[in-house]
Amino acid sequence: MGLKSYFHLKQVGHNFRQNWPTQLMTLLTITLSVLIFSFFLLIYLNVVNLGEQLGDELRLVVYLDNEVAPALQPLLRDKITAYAKVDKVLFISRAEAYSRLQKQLNKEKDLLADLGPEFLPPSIEVYPEKSLHSFSRLKEFSDLLATLPGAQKVQYGQEWLERFGYFTELLRVIVGLSGTLLILATGFMVSCTIRLTVVAKESELEILRLVGASNRYIQSPLFFEGTLQGLIGSALGLILLYTIFIWTKTHLGGPGLLNLLQFTFLPATTTALIIGGTTLLCAWGSLLSIRKQMRI
Amino acid sequence: MLRSFSDQLPLVDIVKATKVYPPNIVAIQNISLSVAKGELLFLTGMSGAGKSTLLKLMCAIEQPTKGVVEVGGLDLAKTNPAVIQQLRQEIGVIYQDFKLLPKQTVFQNIAMPMEVAYRDQREINQRVDQLLKLLLISHKRDIETGKLSRGEQQRVAIARAAANSPALLLADEPTGNLDPETSSLVMGLFEQLHREGTTLIIASHDEALYRNTGYRRVELEHGLFTNHSSPRQLTLPISGSLYGSRAETA
Repeated sequence: MGLKSYFHLKQVGHNFRQNWPTQLMTLLTITLSVLIFSFFLLIYLNVVNLGEQLGDELRLVVYLDNEVAPALQPLLRDKITAYAKVDKVLFISRAEAYSRLQKQLNKEKDLLADLGPEFLPPSIEVYPEKSLHSFSRLKEFSDLLATLPGAQKVQYGQEWLERFGYFTELLRVIVGLSGTLLILATGFMVSCTIRLTVVAKESELEILRLVGASNRYIQSPLFFEGTLQGLIGSALGLILLYTIFIWTKTHLGGPGLLNLLQFTFLPATTTALIIGGTTLLCAWGSLLSIRKQMRI
Repeated sequence: MLRSFSDQLPLVDIVKATKVYPPNIVAIQNISLSVAKGELLFLTGMSGAGKSTLLKLMCAIEQPTKGVVEVGGLDLAKTNPAVIQQLRQEIGVIYQDFKLLPKQTVFQNIAMPMEVAYRDQREINQRVDQLLKLLLISHKRDIETGKLSRGEQQRVAIARAAANSPALLLADEPTGNLDPETSSLVMGLFEQLHREGTTLIIASHDEALYRNTGYRRVELEHGLFTNHSSPRQLTLPISGSLYGSRAETA
């Protein structure tokens, strides 16, 4: 470690010891802000992930008046793929629909004993590509499919998707708001701490100037202080989040929703970005505060 | 900066300096003074004569109302603040009010000038211990300066000023709270620094300190020079083991 860094870090240690209640409050604020933000981000990312997983099963079902003759199927297929790229198109006859229903009913299939397959409409199942998975694009595609000859109705879980979309949107807003909270709270607290440190060290700073301390000598420890608070605070926040995550998985896991959802922790890149971003934010906040307080 | 300054030019050069404090208090008036590199100068006069003000001008704590103050060839009023800070690392100052940090230990206070100059920690430890031993306060090394007597605080202030082996040392009443024996120790330190090439300017109204020394003395009264004694005018030999005796120079 360079001699200069050694002296600066020594000063940082001295400042922490001298001003520990304020330092602790700042650290706590940063930790909690990062925890809140990361918590909502974790939920948001998992919900988006869930959406993608369910999206793999997404299909639009076009219910028809009559079955499509085999000779006409390629024509219809071409017409559908002309609208948008799809993974696959399946033509489901009444008989096939009946057979599926029997399988679904399983032990209750005797309910269908007196019913023939005629009551079930034939359909075309369209499996769209992932690029179509935004709600607005699906709706557009659904409206286009409704214009196919013989199409009675198009279903794709509109209501559920709409609600899911709104929920995801809400989460996005909450993540944005908590991110803003993180920035404001962190910046404000670091700035205040630096200000308090400068005021508390007024006589010391005066004497340091009298013995020839450069601006760098005076400023660097304060800058390091803010940066360290950001680094430690954000790391602590994420450690807490991970602890909550493990606890939730352990105590609320097992057969049920959480197992189905494949709830995962934040990716390493995201974790590194949060720590890096918070550290930079605190460093920047302390630098601004130092310059303002010391009129340099 | 100061160490490498030319020997042919005065290290401190004050030209017609006047300092007036608000509302209208004239501390010094039209003072001109040159101090050669490596010189030991006594600045004498009663309290309130303007000695402290003159020293403050020399270390850029104050700016003159009129006139020029140059140290190491630099007009302090026109020099960049960053350069002033660098200059201060080569100027040791003993303040009348000590300016110590009461919550920090004796060691920490003395080490400060060396830390701001980024000296090696081992060198700092060595130098501080050397000064503590010289000034007989080694046993107070880890005591907060706020808990020391005024005499001990004064010694800490002296040690801090001398710590970085400065090129220029300004002392404002360095022996004001010391007994004669300790005053001798302090003068011994000053003479040691002087032999090593430090330029010293010592402001004192204590006649015992400067009487019978071979050094130049200038006297201030109400902000004006009244007496400017060269070494030739000082006549009496000095008694005491540290000084030895100095013969009159004809």
